Amino acid sequence: MAKKLLSGITGICIALLIGAGMMLAQGYDPIATYQALFQFSLFGLSPLATTFKNSVPLVLTGLSASVAFASGVVNLGQPGQLVMGGLLATLGGLYLELPALLLVPIMILLAMLGGALWAGVAAFLRRAFNMSEFISTLMLNMIADFFTAWAIVGPFADRTANSPATLPIDKAGWLPEVGGFNLSVLFMLLAVAGIWFVFNRWKAGYEWRISGQNSLFARLGGCDINKNFVTVMLVTGALAGLAGGLVVMAGPHRFLKGLGANYAWDGIMIAIVAGNGLIATLLYGLFFSAIQTGALGMELITDVPSEISLVLQAVLVLVIVAGREYLSTTLDRLAARRKALAARHNPEGEFP
Amino acid sequence: MDDLILMKDIVKVYPPSVVAVDDVSVSFRVGEIHAVVGENGAGKSTLMKVLYGLVPRDAGEIVYRGKPVVFHNPGEAIAAGIGMVHQEILLIPEYTVWQNIVLGVEPAASFDRLDREKARHLVKEKIDEFQFNLNPDALVGDISVAARQKVEILKLLYRNVSVLILDEPTAVLTPQEIPQLFSELHRLRDDGHTILFISHRLEEVLELSDRITVMRRGRKVDTVEVGTTNKEELARLMVGRNVIFTSRRKEHTPGKAVFRVHDLTYVDAEGRQRLHSIHLEVRSGEIVGVAGVEGNGQYELVNSITGLIEPSSGTISVNGSDITRAPILERRKLISIVPQDRGKMGASVNASIMENAIMTHHRLDSRFSLWKGLLLNYNQARTFTDELEKRFAVVMAARDNLFKSLSGGNQQKVILGRELMLPSPFVLLDQPTRGLDVGSIEYVHEQMLQMQAEGRAVLLISADLEELFLIADRIVVLYRGEIVADLPIENASVEEVGYLMLEGRGLQRDGQKAS
Amino acid sequence: MRILIGLITGMISGATPILLAALGGAFTFYAGVFNIAMEGMMLTGAFFAVLGSYFFQSWLVGILLAILGSLCMALIFIFFAVRLHTDEFITGIALNLFAVGATTYMLRQIFNVKGVFSAPGIIAIPNLDIPLINQIPFLGQIISGQNLMVYVTMIATLLSAYLIFKTRFGLRVRAAGYNAASLDSSGVSSARMRVWSLLICGVLCGLAGAFLSLGYVRLFSENMSAGRGWISLAAIILVNGNPWGVAIISLVFGFSDGLGLLLQGYNVPSQFTAMVPYLATLIALYFYSMKLKRTPIGRAYLRKHKHEHS
Repeated sequence: MAKKLLSGITGICIALLIGAGMMLAQGYDPIATYQALFQFSLFGLSPLATTFKNSVPLVLTGLSASVAFASGVVNLGQPGQLVMGGLLATLGGLYLELPALLLVPIMILLAMLGGALWAGVAAFLRRAFNMSEFISTLMLNMIADFFTAWAIVGPFADRTANSPATLPIDKAGWLPEVGGFNLSVLFMLLAVAGIWFVFNRWKAGYEWRISGQNSLFARLGGCDINKNFVTVMLVTGALAGLAGGLVVMAGPHRFLKGLGANYAWDGIMIAIVAGNGLIATLLYGLFFSAIQTGALGMELITDVPSEISLVLQAVLVLVIVAGREYLSTTLDRLAARRKALAARHNPEGEFP
Repeated sequence: MDDLILMKDIVKVYPPSVVAVDDVSVSFRVGEIHAVVGENGAGKSTLMKVLYGLVPRDAGEIVYRGKPVVFHNPGEAIAAGIGMVHQEILLIPEYTVWQNIVLGVEPAASFDRLDREKARHLVKEKIDEFQFNLNPDALVGDISVAARQKVEILKLLYRNVSVLILDEPTAVLTPQEIPQLFSELHRLRDDGHTILFISHRLEEVLELSDRITVMRRGRKVDTVEVGTTNKEELARLMVGRNVIFTSRRKEHTPGKAVFRVHDLTYVDAEGRQRLHSIHLEVRSGEIVGVAGVEGNGQYELVNSITGLIEPSSGTISVNGSDITRAPILERRKLISIVPQDRGKMGASVNASIMENAIMTHHRLDSRFSLWKGLLLNYNQARTFTDELEKRFAVVMAARDNLFKSLSGGNQQKVILGRELMLPSPFVLLDQPTRGLDVGSIEYVHEQMLQMQAEGRAVLLISADLEELFLIADRIVVLYRGEIVADLPIENASVEEVGYLMLEGRGLQRDGQKAS
Repeated sequence: MRILIGLITGMISGATPILLAALGGAFTFYAGVFNIAMEGMMLTGAFFAVLGSYFFQSWLVGILLAILGSLCMALIFIFFAVRLHTDEFITGIALNLFAVGATTYMLRQIFNVKGVFSAPGIIAIPNLDIPLINQIPFLGQIISGQNLMVYVTMIATLLSAYLIFKTRFGLRVRAAGYNAASLDSSGVSSARMRVWSLLICGVLCGLAGAFLSLGYVRLFSENMSAGRGWISLAAIILVNGNPWGVAIISLVFGFSDGLGLLLQGYNVPSQFTAMVPYLATLIALYFYSMKLKRTPIGRAYLRKHKHEHS
């Protein structure tokens, strides 16, 4: 645990340093840039609330990837599951006339259903035809992308909008703010708590974890690998779908082009950086959101373009992941050297 | 004779804290066969890997032909004339014999074109020079293990090495193939080559070598001339105390049949028949040992029983229940499994000890369930693990530590404990003592005798004939997917079983080969 | 007739970037590297191709810069995956994301546009008219007149097959994939073979990217590789890396690309026609999986993803 925290913090520091180096090379002032970055994301209630709201899709897709990877399921379909969930939720918000107390939960369920169903396609292909979910989820991402692109200029389009989008959803589906924070944050935290509980306290979660580490051992132990695979695909699909739904409900209140954008790929990255740890995913998700949120505001008062956040994130990923292995290996090697010295200085020791 | 190689004060520590070689000094002479013996983990392999440049040393020096040398990689060692044949055959099964031999020193034509004709010719020359009887065009994946070993040796001779290091070469051979290897090694020695021979098999070492160095726990105990020592003394040096080489079986009568395999057949995906009408029975309180060279159907038999593969026909039953096509969880109600590879099948090394201990119990034992069977009762898990620790004398620091922090012997204790705490009438053990030290091996044998006393039926698959003869009541020989012998242990001999393993038929009573 | 020629030309154009990237991937496949970064390398190549062509007014410089850019990506992969032993899958994913971010960033920084950069100043890779051959009816119109890069691709395919199967280098590269420990014990560094394979992949993916932005179309748009790297990966897995097999599979995908364009003429919405190559990949994956082929690279794949492929 301590190792993980140490490598995480070290990695962040190194990444920020490298980022500062790149900024200097471009002629920007790194200190002012970072100051602006964090000012617009963390210092103050409004920036903090925005960071949290923006972290919802990152954390949820990250969680989806973390749980999947930790369970040995290669679900790379979060981008597709997110948009499908978002679309289904939007449709619910367009065609269902219900009071908020009913509509919100129903839309959330629809979002999860949309994601789960889309993940279910990949799960089905794997179970029925032994098709690797690695490739099928990737292909389904592209297909979902095109499908939703068609849906919002075709049957569900808002003809009056300037860019491709659906009509706005019923006001009852708009997520309000509570204490400055958008309600979507609450749902995100509930999801985190829920999945943590299942993953760590349920029998199913135990089997998922062991299957992810050594599926042969789990099989021999009597775990139903196939059933667990499908369940994990559906659950993680639902998480990604939930992300899509919450984005729609908390943000533009309609499904528009570019909705999924890079959230889901960022989520996968976050899961990797977090080493598939659930709480770590939450924390890194918040951190990445801070960088992204801050960068937008930073663009307003400095000359640094917001795309620097993309580069920062990538550097962070590579540094942390590589650093994690390197640190671990280095610590081990240092320990070994100490032991070797001890052996050398004790040649006449007692025969064991 | 001169010292060809002198290793002084060698230390090697594997990160983070495993002292594999602890200040060892040893010398090897020209034209001798020098054995390095010790138990698993004594450091003999590591010492040779340091010499060979596979593994960097942390301290000490090596003097070769009078000059200090450092080999940073095997390539340098080979160029200097030292070559090593590893325990795991490091060949490429997809390539032919000649491709494997010339890899790295291939004769080439223009544009880097591989000169196949020349390569084949050169290899054929070497094969004939050393009378090795190999087909240069055969795929390495298709030839026998003994032949593969010869290819490894030839690979080194092709590069004109004069010092050959062999790491446990007899571990993969049948009793009948060993004399041929030994005569080849003697021939090489008489030709002037030096042979360093790593082993833990004392009788072979006494037969083959000129001098023997004994290692224990990373240290050198002594170097002795073969003429001046015997098996008992070597064992004592290796282990540090007197070791008994007698059978541990107790007299008893077995009960009724618990485990039955009837007419079991398995045809694999390529249409090859791997199991032919296997009939097998294990009775309560009986230990049945399955002998055979690896690859003769053990894999298919074991996996049919565990449920990882589905047989083509036949039945498997325990106490009358047909489990031939039952899901694995169902079988686990009746079968305990101690699989072959601890790390790959018996445990998840990155999970905690507790998480490994409760596997299968979490589903079969209702005490582990909370709230409609959805939640895992971690209190029960903790209690259960503590009980396992006590009953099976596992040496561990904390339940939550990672499984891989345990020593090999303790890992096997956890696995055994977990499996034996299942209320199953039948226990399947696949190479349970592989890679364990003498103390742990004794422990496992004790546990098996305990199983016998409790009336369980035990099926033991083992490549170690000595072990089978120490502990089994009946011995069964698998050859090309068929059971070619099913004998009570009193009626069997090591030579006969060895012959059955290799040829599929037995010796005649007077020791002559059957026609 | 014209439709058929158009269809075949479309198939060849669609196949070219996939085939180039897949040839690069084949080398890493044989070397035992789990390389999924073709997408990122191709995208980087595409960007730098436009950069070079526009600022130096030369498609040749564009191609050279594309190769350099892609090689940079390969070097990053080498540094993390081979030198630091970071997980290859993770490195690949991170690299792909980095490529998207970096090219988008540079697009806005250097060209001051969002989304697409298209200008008359971009010099495209020319088509090649082969004298005499272009006189042959029907066949001549297919074989001659293709983009230069298409001919480069044909040569690349031949060279790749030769390198992999006929040379010492190829023997060692494949050995690195089959059993790296064995190769190391033979005195040849398997790590060095992996590095070489990644460098070759970098060059080929750079060429693929250059064709995308200077041959196929004449612009750079954000994320324009659009999953082709993944398709080339699928192609490699389907045929176990064999260059000839990869060529055939690429043609099939190129065909599905062209088919998509054709369908557009029949009022099928463009979004659905754009799906065709990805659906085709799924269908190909179906056939592959039903064959239950146990590929050698399955080992590398399974190493990373420890679940069972029964």
